[in-house]
Amino acid sequence: MNSRKLKDSILQGLIYFSAAFTIFILTVIIGFILYKGVPGINLHFLTRQWEEKTTFVRVDKVAEPKDSDKEGYVSSLDITLKKDKEGNLYISKIGSDSSLDSAVDMLGQSFKVKSDDKLSKVDSNDLSELSVADAVKMINQSQDNMRLKITRPGGGIVPMLVSTIYIILLSLVIAAPIGILSAIYLNEYAKPGKILNAIRFAIQNLAGIPSIIYGLFGMLIFVQYFGMGYSILAGALTLSIILLPTIISTTEEALKAIPQTYRESSLGLGATKLQTNYKIILPNALPGILVAIILSIGRIVGESAALMLTAGTVAQIPTAITGNEAGAATLTIKLYMLMKEEGDIATACSIAIILLALIIVLNITSKVITRRFLKKQGI
Amino acid sequence: MTNNIKEENNNSSIMMKPNKTRDIIEKIVETIFFLCAMVSVVSVIAIIVFVFYKGVAPFVGNNAYSFFDFISGVKWDPNHNEYGVFYMIVASILATIGAIIIGVPIGLLTAVFIAEIAPKSLVNIVKPGVELLAGIPSVIYGAFGLGVIVPLINKISPEPQGQSLLAVICVLTIMILPTIISLSEATLKAVPNSYREASLGLGASKTQTIFRAVIPAAKSGILSATVLGIGRAIGETMAVMMIAGNPIGGIPMSIWDKVRPLTTNIAMEMSYASGRHQEMLFATGVILFAFIMIVNITLIKITSKAGEK
Repeated sequence: MNSRKLKDSILQGLIYFSAAFTIFILTVIIGFILYKGVPGINLHFLTRQWEEKTTFVRVDKVAEPKDSDKEGYVSSLDITLKKDKEGNLYISKIGSDSSLDSAVDMLGQSFKVKSDDKLSKVDSNDLSELSVADAVKMINQSQDNMRLKITRPGGGIVPMLVSTIYIILLSLVIAAPIGILSAIYLNEYAKPGKILNAIRFAIQNLAGIPSIIYGLFGMLIFVQYFGMGYSILAGALTLSIILLPTIISTTEEALKAIPQTYRESSLGLGATKLQTNYKIILPNALPGILVAIILSIGRIVGESAALMLTAGTVAQIPTAITGNEAGAATLTIKLYMLMKEEGDIATACSIAIILLALIIVLNITSKVITRRFLKKQGI
Repeated sequence: MTNNIKEENNNSSIMMKPNKTRDIIEKIVETIFFLCAMVSVVSVIAIIVFVFYKGVAPFVGNNAYSFFDFISGVKWDPNHNEYGVFYMIVASILATIGAIIIGVPIGLLTAVFIAEIAPKSLVNIVKPGVELLAGIPSVIYGAFGLGVIVPLINKISPEPQGQSLLAVICVLTIMILPTIISLSEATLKAVPNSYREASLGLGASKTQTIFRAVIPAAKSGILSATVLGIGRAIGETMAVMMIAGNPIGGIPMSIWDKVRPLTTNIAMEMSYASGRHQEMLFATGVILFAFIMIVNITLIKITSKAGEK
């Protein structure tokens, strides 16, 4: 009897230990990421471009230069200059009369100078070594139409955020219709037999293939054979295949949950099968389909291996869907590059916080939808 | 069911006027649905065909590389035309076995905790935690591995670096936990209550009931969770790439040695490889694929057997 008690308590101890271990690991991971990443998160991190970008612009004076009491105020351009911690001169404030809003770059295109942009040259005079007061004097003394060297600061994740959103949208546009229609076919039309078995076998296999293999395939077919280059379209097409099993199986679950009587009454009233699917089945399966899409978004946000081989690793906002301008690093890829190539753990963890926040929001949303849906069905 | 609907359709078309356009539209729509469903089949076939086509190329024709040298070689040096993947296969298998040995018991017991023991208030903490663990992107696990586990190992390791088989096993263990836990929990919950009642009624304690009646009844589900875990561990790329060390040769002799699993070999060099080198990476992909196929088919067999029951 005693040995049984001993055994029981050992086993129970192991059970408690395991559960505690799981939660402990999660806490450590999140703690590590927050500890390293929180200091790096600020407004600039969320709103700036990744790379610094230097542009030369031409502006006209808006007023005759006159002396001002305010430190760093350039009356001829109606702007205020300051020095940052590294000693770089930057524009801290742009007045309402300023001509910097309507500056043009060297190609004659309008370029809106923003506050926080760094200013390092006027015409051919270098400002970086000058004090604020001397720089103000230098600008006021220059000719009416002057050339400024403007550097927009980097260090933000905007390009990766935008790329991630583009890839999410593109992948869903491709994968969601195919996945949902497949699920409807499998659940509403298909007759048991060889074809159905083949489709199910294919879907089960797709779900098990690791993403690096998808990456290989996508690189061979989309990037090289179709000549898309490392681009968001190549990435999205590859991801679409990865998403199919998730979308199909989640949608099918929702379709299976619709009572058979719905279909029978609709058909009995003389509706065709298409009408039944469109007016009865689809609306009832909508919450399930939404959950499928949210799960897919989560998968896309977390995906990395396949995207690295198809969408590339350049931190830029893609301006096309194929070709050189379309290469795009998502948040996960950038995180990897920072960690592995540059050893910048702090910034990597800041990105990880953004990713975690996204994942948590997605998790909660899908839960809320599921709960509402279940309540409506009265289960 | 389908026959009934057909009959209904026929009847209605007899009573109403036959509506050819409607029938044609129905047929077209069904075909579109069917084609969408075939996309999955076509994708699987295309993936297999193209990856194999590229991966088999270096072993046939003139100037072919010996397949035996490829599969048994322990050095990967593209600059000197040396492509051996045996040490990568060993690394992949060892890392997976290690992760399964540690991860499955912990995962299963956590599932037992959630499904059988924990009061609802605790379940409400542990379960979302597990779901979050499942949703964390693999690069974050990699960052955690590189930022926490590798330095820790570095402190106790006899080798000069922390990147090692042990680090890979640790991270893979964590990564397969959510898979094991959620699937095992689902199967444990599916065990009928009468099993528990019968066992308790015979005088068994609660713990005995769990380990002698409930877990054996959930065997096949736990098995498929394990197989899924194997699939995830063997296919994991990004996290492993950051912490494995990726040497150019040598079979790992201890858990402190650097390793280079199959997946990381592909991901590391694919972006700049060309010609023979690229084909060899595809060949590595074929080996990986072979492993995954074994895992997949095992899984499908287990689940269909459980379905028959």
